[in-house]
Amino acid sequence: MTYSLAVDIGGTFTDVVLRGANGALSLDKTLTTHDDLLKGFFRGVDLVLGKAGVRAEEVTGVVVHATTIVTNALIERKGFPTALIATKGFGDVLSIRNEHRYEMYDPQIEFAPPLIPHEATFELDERVLADGTILREVDRAQVEALAAKLKAEGIVSVAICLLNSFRNPANERAVAAVLSEMLPDLYISLSSSIAPQIREYPRTSTTAVNAYAMPITQPYLHGLEVGLEKARIPNRALIMLSSGGIIGAEVAARNPVRMIESGPAAGALAASWYAERLGLDRLLSFDMGGTTAKACLIENKKPLVAGTFEVDRMYRFCEGSGMPLTIPSVDMIEIGAGGGSIASVDDLGLLKVGPRSAGSNPGPACYGQGGTSPTVTDADLLLGLLDAENFLGGDMHLDRPAAEAAMGRLAKALHTDVTRTADGIYRIVAETMAGAARAHLTDRGVDHRGIPLLAFGGAGPVHACAVGGLLGSTAVIFPPQASVLSAFGTLVTPVRLDLVRSALGNLEALDWKDVDRLLNEMTDEAIAALEQAGCERKTVRLIFGADLRYFGQQNELSITFEKDPREDRDIASIRSNFEASYHAQYGVNPSHVPLEIVSWRLTAQGPDIHFDGTASAARAPAKPKTERKIALWPDAGPVPVYDRLSLATNQKIAGPAIIEERETTIVLPPKWEAVVNELGCIVAKERA
Amino acid sequence: MDGIELEILWSNLIGIVSEQAKALQRIAFSPIVREAGDLASGLFDARGRMVAQANTGTPGHINSLAAAGKSLADLFHNQLVPGDIIITNDPWMSAGHFFDITVLSPIFWDDRLIGFIGSTIHHTDIGGYGIGAGARDIHEEGLWIPPLKFYEAGKPNAVLHDIIRRNVRTPDHVFGDLSAQVSSGRAGGERLIALCKRAGLRDIEELSEEIISRSEAATRRAIRALPAGTWHGESRFDVPGGDVIELKAAVTVDNEAGDVVIDFAGSSGASPLGINVVMNYTHAYSTFAVRSCLNPEQPNNYGSLAPIKVKAPEGSIVNAAYPSPLNARHVVGMFVPMPILKALHQVIPDRVLAEGSGAVWTVQIQGKKPSGEAFTSSMFNYSGGMGARAQKPGPSATCYPTGVAAVPVEILEAAMPIVFDKRQLRRGSGGEGRSRGGDGQVIGFHMRTDQPWLLNAVPSRLDRGPDGLDGAAPGAAGRFTVNGKSMSEPRKMTMQPGDVVLLETPGGGGYGLA
Repeated sequence: MTYSLAVDIGGTFTDVVLRGANGALSLDKTLTTHDDLLKGFFRGVDLVLGKAGVRAEEVTGVVVHATTIVTNALIERKGFPTALIATKGFGDVLSIRNEHRYEMYDPQIEFAPPLIPHEATFELDERVLADGTILREVDRAQVEALAAKLKAEGIVSVAICLLNSFRNPANERAVAAVLSEMLPDLYISLSSSIAPQIREYPRTSTTAVNAYAMPITQPYLHGLEVGLEKARIPNRALIMLSSGGIIGAEVAARNPVRMIESGPAAGALAASWYAERLGLDRLLSFDMGGTTAKACLIENKKPLVAGTFEVDRMYRFCEGSGMPLTIPSVDMIEIGAGGGSIASVDDLGLLKVGPRSAGSNPGPACYGQGGTSPTVTDADLLLGLLDAENFLGGDMHLDRPAAEAAMGRLAKALHTDVTRTADGIYRIVAETMAGAARAHLTDRGVDHRGIPLLAFGGAGPVHACAVGGLLGSTAVIFPPQASVLSAFGTLVTPVRLDLVRSALGNLEALDWKDVDRLLNEMTDEAIAALEQAGCERKTVRLIFGADLRYFGQQNELSITFEKDPREDRDIASIRSNFEASYHAQYGVNPSHVPLEIVSWRLTAQGPDIHFDGTASAARAPAKPKTERKIALWPDAGPVPVYDRLSLATNQKIAGPAIIEERETTIVLPPKWEAVVNELGCIVAKERA
Repeated sequence: MDGIELEILWSNLIGIVSEQAKALQRIAFSPIVREAGDLASGLFDARGRMVAQANTGTPGHINSLAAAGKSLADLFHNQLVPGDIIITNDPWMSAGHFFDITVLSPIFWDDRLIGFIGSTIHHTDIGGYGIGAGARDIHEEGLWIPPLKFYEAGKPNAVLHDIIRRNVRTPDHVFGDLSAQVSSGRAGGERLIALCKRAGLRDIEELSEEIISRSEAATRRAIRALPAGTWHGESRFDVPGGDVIELKAAVTVDNEAGDVVIDFAGSSGASPLGINVVMNYTHAYSTFAVRSCLNPEQPNNYGSLAPIKVKAPEGSIVNAAYPSPLNARHVVGMFVPMPILKALHQVIPDRVLAEGSGAVWTVQIQGKKPSGEAFTSSMFNYSGGMGARAQKPGPSATCYPTGVAAVPVEILEAAMPIVFDKRQLRRGSGGEGRSRGGDGQVIGFHMRTDQPWLLNAVPSRLDRGPDGLDGAAPGAAGRFTVNGKSMSEPRKMTMQPGDVVLLETPGGGGYGLA
């Protein structure tokens, strides 16, 4: 039988999923090995293969990998000496940023130092103008002198980011040609290939991150290839990208910036697979872990993809405090609210939850590792939602007295009792997440009401119905394999690459010759990349899109075309397509304002993955394994507690009820009811 | 109401206005709204007291909107019906110049008025002189919209719509942004009513009282923790044309009442240029300065602003009287916090920052493209260095008190025939000290044209850099040269094809002896 493998390396766990051609899944989790990520990778693979009794040679399907290696490198900043090459007079672009002070009221604000310092920035006397004309060519002698300097200073990787190179890459390419001739081992990132979009700061930032990550990821991906061969796994690895695309290791190695946050992106893809299977046009994925919660809108069964992303936000998840990246990425909101979020009382006497987190060390007070601050998990325990003896399947005992002591101090400050305080934390954390989700959706012109929620992550199922109630969600869905959902997501996603190129101009005066040249280049690049990832050319589907805006605006809106726009060359239909999207998002259309095109987009996609999911065997409806008092619902009497694994397909459960699995607990409030569907999902709804 | 219920309701109110502000910012045509967040959005109770404000926006707008909401609610008391929407750009009543239009939407739940949603945004045009400080009186600065009903019982006020449309240069953009303000008021009102229903509230009177009284009490508590007394600070800076402006602030802490009174007596008189600041705007930047040092984490509302009182002599540059021109009031307004911070430095030295460059330098260019087509650029801006803090240096190329983003070089070069020669940090321009001031920046450009062009540049601090604190050195003064020759011209300048412009923004002041 053919087997496929998925490995998702996250901050704490490395998740592995093995899928047989018949749809059967085997999964395992192992601790992430931070000193050498590949050690955990292969340990997890061995574990899963051993458990399933499958030989490595039988893994003839895909091997898909999502990893946190690039994010780690950026946050730790322990990378190799990396240099920036800029146009003369413009070497400070990473220090000047966009000048924005992201937090208005804090006079003590700080900014992260630039990823590549001033001392490692070199300027070249060259210039491309805004229309692509070359005002000054690259002087070879200057580049040769620069090469000697780079060598002397032990630089291993360079980011080349020259002004207006998105319009004409010739000067950047000329610099790269000389450097690679003189320093064949140097890693080179060109802004015109990595992020060919207008706006010098985000383009430089993206290219700098790429250059910084290259010397770390290339040996890593090479080690992965060698390791797979040694493990006698026949196929080469495919790499998950932040956009939700999947691509071969060679392309990923040249574009490591695109691998950032690929794990969470894969979680969103799993959500879109469920949207497809459940026939839902819209779905909000809700993943709540130890320190943060993430939400992503699945629209028309696909995750929303944004053109920009910020990595390493250093100030309370505040927009603007991280490094901007102009790469296509799954459009996700991250909120500082997780199981470890700390509750406190502020100067106004208000109960606040987060964004400070006890993390996993010392962790919540109930972990008994010395934490003394009351957290969301402590509240969940004291409310009776979690079982002190059955956390992580009983592998970890929760210390109830420690949680009570921590909560008691907070209750005193609020002049109330422990239960009311824990109840307050439970409600406030739900409000925080619902509020952030509303803001995220409003910002995208989407009404938050009536969208089903897909809940996963360790803390997600505990809080999902409370959040869903506030958002007016029509249903809250708890998928199976929730603890390895990202790894699962990589296995249900086709090979895909998203490309974007700036081409600023008036839509009415569009030069189709230019468009042809640009789109042909993009098509060639995308098809070559997909062929490398094992796709046959004739199976590749191309989806064209563009970013447009009304003249005078500076934020653009992405639209997707039904077919290649060059077939009809119909500017009026491009305009009406844009106007419809604009109206859907903003509710108004200004009349008589001309349109400007900012960029072209291309998505190249391999064949769809056909996978029907596992149906659990029909069994007699399970009885509760026990019952307990839940302080959150004082009027309810003893509440039944089920073991999720024992539930049968189509079994109905009326709230209030608790459904426990090894890694999480589903909380079904009074007035809610749930049913187990054919996919093994538990679908909960509030009774009308 | 306990600290749990109140937290839930309060955070929802802030959520409502923050969502509306985000929607406004994304949709706006006005580049300064989108890029710099030059807008404010607030929620008011039925008496017009600001209960919650969006967590985005500039201080000048936010705190001015708080005042505008109150005045407009008083003015239209008992004269509103469902579907009415109020509008004004009266500088004295709202944000200090005609460009800022305030729209206030009453929220009716059935027939009961339960509150207002208000927003102020900087519009693309308002007729008259246009961008810059060159008008001789307020009437040259454009269209004055007195407080009126923009919609009456759900119907547009056709006369007013016509008047506005005929008096602005970019009617589509102005009406696009006004309709965004109207729709955000409607959406915010619906959200408030839904919240009341969910929480079982009939109105927000009790909630508003609780928020306002707790906020006021907390601010007074913070003030009472300070020593009593009066401290003085002054700040001197030069503006385009070379005039030196002096702002004097006497900051009196009454730690029994829990009041702070800021008095600008002795500050400069009115300027003939359009850089005069109305009381609302002075008040906005004064309360911002005090609150950002005293208790920045607390939400802004009627109660948290109430203990801070601001006075200035009528007709002075920080309490402008009719018919003084006001258009470029930020040129002086952004210096308002500086003398206050210097006074507070004697009270809470660890929480203030040294003087920085102050106002951002703004530039606008008009000319002809090689094709002969005329163009007018949008206004773009550059920051100098921020002042140092007791324990930290000042950030470079970053503005305080605003935090306006700059437009990228590539965007400007794509929009007009400008070529930048450099844009880099002005190393060493930050004042030396135990903590160094932030560096300013150097921006050089010329135009690719064979025709004369117009330059409207508004630099400041060309004569004297920002002061250091506690014996530290001042930041370097700014420099503005054309072909190497120093300039200080308050009005539009006619430039020749080969002219080379160089802007060197000031560094921030240092903090403490090195």
